[in-house]
Formats: sequence, structure tokens, C-alpha cells
Amino acid sequence: MNSAIQSSSAPSRPRSRFWLRVRRNPVGLGAFLAICLLALLVVFGPALYRVAPDATDPLNILAASSPAHPLGTDELGRDMLSRLLYGGRVSLAVGLLSMLVGLTIGTLAGGVAGYFKGWTETLVMRLVDVFMSIPSFFLVLVIVTVFGNHPLTVVVTVGIGFWAQMARVVYAEFAKYRGREFVEAMHALGASHARIMFRHIFPQVLPQAVVLATLGVGWAILTEAALSYLGLGIQPPLASWGNMLQNAQAYLYSNPMLAIWPGLFIAVTVLAFNVLGNALRDVLDPRN
Amino acid sequence: MTAYIVRRLLQGVVVLFLISAVTFLLINLAPGGPTSAVSLGRTAEEREAVLKQYGLDRPVLVRYFDWLGGVLRGDLGKSYNQGLPVSSLLVQRMGNTLQLALSALALTALLGVALGVLSALYKNRWPDHLISSLATVGMSVPAFWLGIVAIIVFAVQFKWLPSSGIFTVGQEFSLWDRLRHLAMPAGVLAFTLMPNVIRITRSALLDVLTSDYVRTARAKGVSERVVLLKHTLKNALVPVIAILGLITTVLFSGSVVVESVFGWAGLGRLAIEAANGRDYPVILGVTLLVGAIVVVVNLLVDVLYAAVDPRISHE
Amino acid sequence: MAKGIRWKFSGISAALLAGVLSLGGVMAQDYDPNATLNLATNADPTLNPWTPGAVVESNLINTIVFDQLVRYNKKDLSPAPGLATSWKVSQDGLSWTFNLRKGVTWHDGKPFTAEDVAFTFNDVVLNKKLGGQNAGNFSKVKNVEVVNPSTVRFVLSAPFSSLPYYLAYYAGILPKHVLGDAENPLQVASFNKKNPIGTGAFRVAEFVPGSYVRLVRYDKYWGGTPKINSIVFKIVPDPNTQMAQVISGELDFVGVSNPALLAGVERNPKLQVLRQSQNLYYFVVLNQNDPRFRDVRVRQALLYAIDRKAMIDSVVRGYGTIATGPIAPLQKAFYVKDVPQYTYSPEKAKQLLAQAGWTPGPDGVLQKDGRPFEIDMPTGQFGYLVPATLLVQQYWKAIGVKANVNVMEWNAYIQKMFVNRQYEATLAWWSTPPTPDVTPYYASAAADKGNNIPNYKNPELDKLLEEGLKATGVQEQVLTYRRLQRMLAEQLPYLYLWYPDIISVRNERVGGMADINTAAAFQYSSEWFIKR
Repeated sequence: MNSAIQSSSAPSRPRSRFWLRVRRNPVGLGAFLAICLLALLVVFGPALYRVAPDATDPLNILAASSPAHPLGTDELGRDMLSRLLYGGRVSLAVGLLSMLVGLTIGTLAGGVAGYFKGWTETLVMRLVDVFMSIPSFFLVLVIVTVFGNHPLTVVVTVGIGFWAQMARVVYAEFAKYRGREFVEAMHALGASHARIMFRHIFPQVLPQAVVLATLGVGWAILTEAALSYLGLGIQPPLASWGNMLQNAQAYLYSNPMLAIWPGLFIAVTVLAFNVLGNALRDVLDPRN
Repeated sequence: MTAYIVRRLLQGVVVLFLISAVTFLLINLAPGGPTSAVSLGRTAEEREAVLKQYGLDRPVLVRYFDWLGGVLRGDLGKSYNQGLPVSSLLVQRMGNTLQLALSALALTALLGVALGVLSALYKNRWPDHLISSLATVGMSVPAFWLGIVAIIVFAVQFKWLPSSGIFTVGQEFSLWDRLRHLAMPAGVLAFTLMPNVIRITRSALLDVLTSDYVRTARAKGVSERVVLLKHTLKNALVPVIAILGLITTVLFSGSVVVESVFGWAGLGRLAIEAANGRDYPVILGVTLLVGAIVVVVNLLVDVLYAAVDPRISHE
Repeated sequence: MAKGIRWKFSGISAALLAGVLSLGGVMAQDYDPNATLNLATNADPTLNPWTPGAVVESNLINTIVFDQLVRYNKKDLSPAPGLATSWKVSQDGLSWTFNLRKGVTWHDGKPFTAEDVAFTFNDVVLNKKLGGQNAGNFSKVKNVEVVNPSTVRFVLSAPFSSLPYYLAYYAGILPKHVLGDAENPLQVASFNKKNPIGTGAFRVAEFVPGSYVRLVRYDKYWGGTPKINSIVFKIVPDPNTQMAQVISGELDFVGVSNPALLAGVERNPKLQVLRQSQNLYYFVVLNQNDPRFRDVRVRQALLYAIDRKAMIDSVVRGYGTIATGPIAPLQKAFYVKDVPQYTYSPEKAKQLLAQAGWTPGPDGVLQKDGRPFEIDMPTGQFGYLVPATLLVQQYWKAIGVKANVNVMEWNAYIQKMFVNRQYEATLAWWSTPPTPDVTPYYASAAADKGNNIPNYKNPELDKLLEEGLKATGVQEQVLTYRRLQRMLAEQLPYLYLWYPDIISVRNERVGGMADINTAAAFQYSSEWFIKR
């Protein structure tokens, strides 16, 4: 009982400060809610709105909105709403997964380099330099051309376009904490390197990583869309907001809504992640 | 300082070597072949004859060292699909990309810093909110989408600006004509780049504005304008210069798409054409050139950084 | 060779025919001799018709700059005089003699002679090491002999009745005095990328890579001084941008890759939308190396299952007609309509598949010997291939056939489908010269390696193809090719989908363009004019 009170009261101050900052940032909160809403929509939407996204209907193409097709149909008579929902799944998944790929590789590489120094540091950081020297889009272009555009390739590639930046940030943080007394002390007490890295340093780095990762999701969604514009993104029959936009190219004059819907969803989603990322920066960064 | 620069340049050479090796191996793994050989309607006999002309019947490693030897002698090889030396293609396209990139960069720097300053001065008032909203929108809109919308509005609807190209064909050189062609692509690129600059300028300026010496200056009754210009802006520019390196890579990435939308014959479009057509020497040439530019820009930025900010030294 | 012919400029609708014809004489004084015509191409061209990789982006410019021995007749696309004024074939069909036009000069002023023709074929086209673009069209030509300065003789290894058609199909003549000493006459950069020498109505004045190619009229052109001062080919890769430019008046003429783009121009009084047919057909092929597809009933069923009318309405917005075979209706003399039609009927499809032993499985997918009817169907990112493939997938799904569509980047697709033949079904198209001879696409010899994509081998068909090539009289040809079309429609080596209309948009200020077909129109560029 006693200990419970203690343990709950001790961290409560930073937590309440956190909530205070969150409450002072209604825009960020709004963005967070928007993302939750989008996620709910694309995860559960298809279960409620049961129209197949790939069912073509050549006799009913480019139809205006109607009870059967609330947002009309596309150039093959496929239901726009259904495609937006399924496409959102893919786009959000690509965004989140490629961010995770980038985050994992970046954190591991940056952490190891910053912690162990020496030749690991040289090796990893030169590699980071290599990747930072190739504009990410050129890299992504080459890799997707080489390995084909399987959804997994797209995810990994977009993630790879992002890891170096993450590694650099994590590396700097790890290098900073590496020299701190508490690390030396832990080591003297017999804690393993892995334990020190994950239990003690990583939490310090986390806020920055979270901010970068949040912004990274937006970047990843935009990159997939740009790849799709060049025909190298997620491929049909799988719908993504990016390839829906690409399909709409030919209909800009006649049926602009085909392009406006996916464009809008991309913009709103990326906007929400960017706003959230900036808000998190304000909230999590102790320097503010 | 000299030792530092030499060391960085050497590192840069190693980086470029790695880039070339990785790209060469990767691109040779790609399915398909140069379109001049591999295309619908080309018989097996024709295909093999052409591939043999290009030396593509030899093992990858042999070809790589052959190519590397050429590069060391200053010969980047010949484009398979264009039949021109890669170096001449790069020179042609480089000039165009530089025009676009430098215009976009200048626009980004000028407008970005100005808006960032405005934002900081009106912190948490409506101009600040407006500017930061615009900046966030700029980060969130797909560049190619913005480009297409711009074409529909400014070229098709109002006919104010030409929709593509670098200058009006068959006309005498005219600066006005060039600027009109530059307006949309450079504008779109700048719009997507600007958010970073605005944000950095704003936060740097806020840091400096709340610093002790500015407070002292204010307390001494120095006018607000003098404070801003003399004491603050110079210091606030340091972090802006720092991100120029980052912006250069983003700029090249952005130009790939923007050049496609606006039919701008630059390196980005060359890269796409070469990747689609499996023009291996051209892909390698572009990658190497862009890599070299980024290495040099980053070095320049660091040197400049040290020059502006005396606290940093490159032992 | 076939890649994206329809991405290029194309012909003129029959609706315009009357108007243009009546203008002919009257307009003579009303054109502006100093005018510039603005055209577009989608990438930097290669100004040598035989250089590997010189395809859609180069074909039309090369047609203007380089004359060919034969042109298409502007009325019916039959072979008509070009650099050759007349020709004669020997009794055995193995020797063709061409009389050449006199007084023709190259753009550098040197005279054109039989030596140039012999050089173009003997040293370039027939030199296998060079792998020239379209060179395979002349595989039956042994060599070309110079009889005298204005006569050449084509010596063949086998009869080739469609030789004149192929001589009019991107087969420009090259100058021996310029390229004769080159190690590889197809890779002379100063020629291909800067200053080519042809005998055509316009010569290249300026080539700014990535931007434009400017042609100016050749005053000493053998067909009379051209009526336009210059032609500018702008390099505009994006079809939306091309469309925007034709609407804004920056371009005078563009080919329309996707009819959906027409929305902005249909009401514009200054622009004319032209519909034209070409010998081009879309098809689905079923790989004949897969035993399931050797059963003709299966091929027929899979065609019955497809509603081609609906596909035409959606994929090409109605700009097309149902295809019945490889010979398009524009070859009026040869085309036959009364062949099996395969009108959309899922029931018939199911019946035929049932006869072939395919029975419904538990999940609705047909099966035979316990194996479900699944088809590996790769497709490439190009034109309408992806949407059309997705529609076919849905039609087949409705009869219990599961197609696994795999959309690939174009170059990778070509490697997989065309080079390696790793596919079970795929959707593509052929564009061919307007000759009824279809040997390269159907002969057993062309299976697996050549252009016989379905790898279809049928000795009876081979015999018919050979008969067609040997036929000397038109009547004999007509009979043979009618039989051929019937056989193809029954056997379905390819499942024929549609002949697309070739659509282009032209500014009304342009006059004098031949009506029948873009390829033909560009062979007569000296007759074009710009109205005042």
C-alpha cells in the first residue's frame, strides 16, 4: 500500500507536466485524433462498407456519386470509397512499416556506433555518409527498379531511404550518453552492454526518435506516392492512395475528383503526422 | 583547416567509390536490359548482337573494373540508348538542373528566412500561425500533385505561364522568357523545401532573441530594428547554413519528380529515363555526379559553418 | 518496333477528308511560307532510323528527314513511289528490281545514287553484328546489287511478296558518303544526335538535347519546295503536359495516348480530334507451352468470357472496334468480317470449359484432375495494359478462372514475358505495316525466340503463310489471306481484343496533311502548310 502510493506519486509530476503540455497543444492533440480516426476508418471501414475494391464494372465507369457508390466509380467502374478505404490501409501500412524499418535499422546502427565507437563507429558512420550522399529518391528509384515493386520491396526501400538520418540522430545521442558517469557506473556494477544500451540509454534517446519517426511516416507516405507517380510504387490490383493518384492523371480535366480524393487523403494524413511530429517535439523535448 | 579539408575530400572519394560499386552491382541485378536491345519485337538474334556491342556478354566484375578504369582516366563511358558519351549528357543536363536548383534554393533561402524572421517576431500571434500552417502544408503536399495543379491553374486556365520546357523554342534569348519557364518548377520545389528553413530560422531567431546579449542590447535602448539586423540575424543564420547540406539532397530528390512534371531536361529526368531504359553507364554517371555534388556541398557547408561560427573548429 | 506506336502522332479522321480535299487548290496562296509547325515527341530522338533503340520518339522525325524507297499511297496505303519510281519482281519472286528517282540530292548537296541504297542494306541493315532496329524485317533479303547508278536489285533467299510494304516501314535510306567510313554506321554520334544527312523535305538545323529538334525546309527537295519554313519537335515526356500545350496553342498536333485526355479539347473550336485506324491490335496470349491452353476449346472459352464491347467502352472510351484477327479493317482488300465472332457469352464459355473437362471446385474456381484453374498473368506499366488486364481478370473470375495479375515495371516485364516467355497469359499488342503477311508473329519458326509470343506451332498455318508470301497476283493473295484469317479466328493463337482508333488532336491552322494515316502523312511533309 505504502509503496504503491510512493511509486505512483513519484513519477506523477513529470506525467502531469506531460499532460499539461499536451493540453496546451490542442493542434497536436487534434492531429493525433485525426490519425486515430483515419486508422479506425481504414482498419474497420472495409468491414462495415462491404464493397470489393477491385470489382470492375465497365458499364458503369466514372459514375457520379450514387447510393450504390457514395463517391462514384473510377475509370474501370470500381467503387471509389472502397478503394480509398483499402488504399488507405496500404498507404498507412507502407508509411508505418517503412518508418519501422528505418527506425529499427537506424536505431540499431546509430546506437551501436555511438556506444562502441572505434571501428564500428567508423564503419557505420561512413555508411551513413554514403546513404546521406545519395539523395534518397535516387536510391529508392534504383532499388525499386532492381528488385521489382513487390509491396515488401517498396516498404523496405522507403525505410532504407530514411535510416541514415535516424542513425545520425541516435548516434549523436548515444555518443553523448556514452561518456556519462552513470554509464560508467552501470558498467562497473556488471551490467551488460546490451542492458545499458536498451534499458538506460535508449529511453533517453526515445523522445527524439519518436519525433523523427512520426515525421518519417509522413515522408514515407509521400515517397510512396511519388514512386507511384513514376509507376514504381505499390502496384495494382492492390490500391494505394499513390497509385490511385497515378491512375487519375488522365482524368484531371474530365473527372478531377478521382485525383482530388486520394490527393486529399494523402495531404491530410501526412499533414496530421507532421503536425503531430512537431507537437511531440514541443511536448517531449525537455529543452522547451 | 587544410588537413581537415583534405581528409574530408579523401573520405568523399571513398564514399563515391562505395556508391559506384553498390550501384553497379545493383543495377546489373535488375531484370531486363537496355531498351535498344531488349524491347517488344526485337528477335533473339538482334538482341544478342546489340548486347555484344555493349560488352554485356562479359561477367559483371570484369565490366565493373573496366568501367572503373575508364572513370579513373576520366571516361564515364557511352550511353547505350543515346549513343552519346555519358559526360556530355551529364554536362547538358547538369546546367539545366543547376538553373532550377539554384533558383529554387535562392527562393527558398530568401522567402524561408524572411518568413522565419516574421514568424519569430510575431511569435504565437496570427502571422506566426499562418506561416507555420503554410509550412506544414508545404511539407505535406505531394510535389508532383502541386505541380499538376499549378499547370492546370496557371498554364491551362489562365495561360499566364508556359506549362513545360526551359525556354520558348526558336526565340532569341530573353531573361524574361527564362524566368517565366522557371517560375512554376522553381516555385513548387521551393514550396516543398521552405518549411525546413522557416522552422530553423524561427527557432534559431527565438533562441538568439531571448539570449542575454540581445536583452542587454535592448536594455541599453538600441532600437528594435538594429537589434534584429545587427545582432540577431547574423547569429540566427548559422543553423540555416547548417541545413543547406541537407536541403541539397532533398533538392535533388525533389527535382526528379518536378523535372518530370514540368518537362525540365535535367539530371532527375535523365536518371528516370536511364533507369527505365536500363542505360547502365548513364545511371552510374548520374549517381556519381550527384553524390560528388552532395559531398562537396556538405564540405563547403561545414567549412562555412566554421567560418561563421567561431565556436566550431575543425581541429 | 511495335512499342507504343499509338503513343505517337497519328492520322486524320475520315470526317475531315472532304474538308481538306476541297481546300487543296484554293489554299495554295493562303498559306504562310514563314510559319513554324510545332510538334512533340516524348524523349530525345535518335536521328538514324536503324540505330538500336530508335523507336517511337524517333520514328516520325526520321520519316521526315530520311526518304524511303517506297511510300504509302495516301488513299489506300498500298506501296507508292518514294525514292524508287517503279519496281518489278522476277517470276520466281526472288529478285526485285527498283528504278531510282533521278536528280535527288542529300541535304549536303551531294547526289543520291544506287550506291547509297546498297550501302544502307548491305553494310547496315543486313550486317547482323549491328543488330539494327527493324533489321529483322529484311531477313529474307540476301543482298542488294547496284545495277547502274539509278537501278538496284534486291536478291532474296525466299519469296517475300510484302517487301515493298516493309520498304515503306521506317526504312530510311542512309548516305554512303557520310557514314561509309564509320566503324559502326549506326553509332555515329555527330550524325545521330546533331547533324544527320537525309534526302527528306526538311533537314535538321538544331538539336538541343532534352529540349527540342528544329527542322528547316530543304529548298532543293526533289518533290518541290516545302510550304512550311520550319518544324519544331519539342521534347515533352508527360502526356498531360502535351495535352495542355495543344490546348494552349503551344503545339499544333499531338498523338493522344489515352482518350480520357480528350475531355479538355472536345469543345475547343480551334482543335480537331482525329480518329484513324492503323494495323494495330490488342490481344491476350495464352502460352502454348502450357498444355492447358493447347485445347482450342479453352482458348475459345476464355475469349467468350470477355465482354470486349464493354472493354472498348471503358478502357479506350469507345475509340476502337472489336478485333477479329491480325489484319485490320483498314486493309480493305484483305480484311474479312465473316469469321467466328465470339460474342460475349459467359454461358458458352462455361460450357466449352466443361467439355474440356474443367469442373467447378469448392471455392468456385474451376478444376481439372484436382488442380484449380489458376493463370499466372504478368503485365507491364504501359498504356492501357494494366487496366485492360484487370478487366480480363474480373471477366475470367466470373467463369471460375483465377488469374493472378502481377504488374511489373515495363522493362522487367519485357524480359520476363517476351525474352524468357515466363508467363501463362498476358495482354499486349502488335503494330505492323499494312501488309497481310503476318509470318513474323505466327510462324512456328518464330515461336519461343521470335515474335510468335504465344509460341503457337501449327504446320498448316505455316503452309498458308508461305503460300501468301509466294503469291504474285493480288487475287491469289486475297484468297490465301482470307483462308488464313478464318483459320486464325477458329484456332485463336491469339485472343483478339480490339483495333484501337488512333487519336490525335490537331490545330485547325494546319492543312495539307494526308488523311489516311500518320505514318503516311509524315511521308508527305512537303505538302503540309499553315493557314494564314
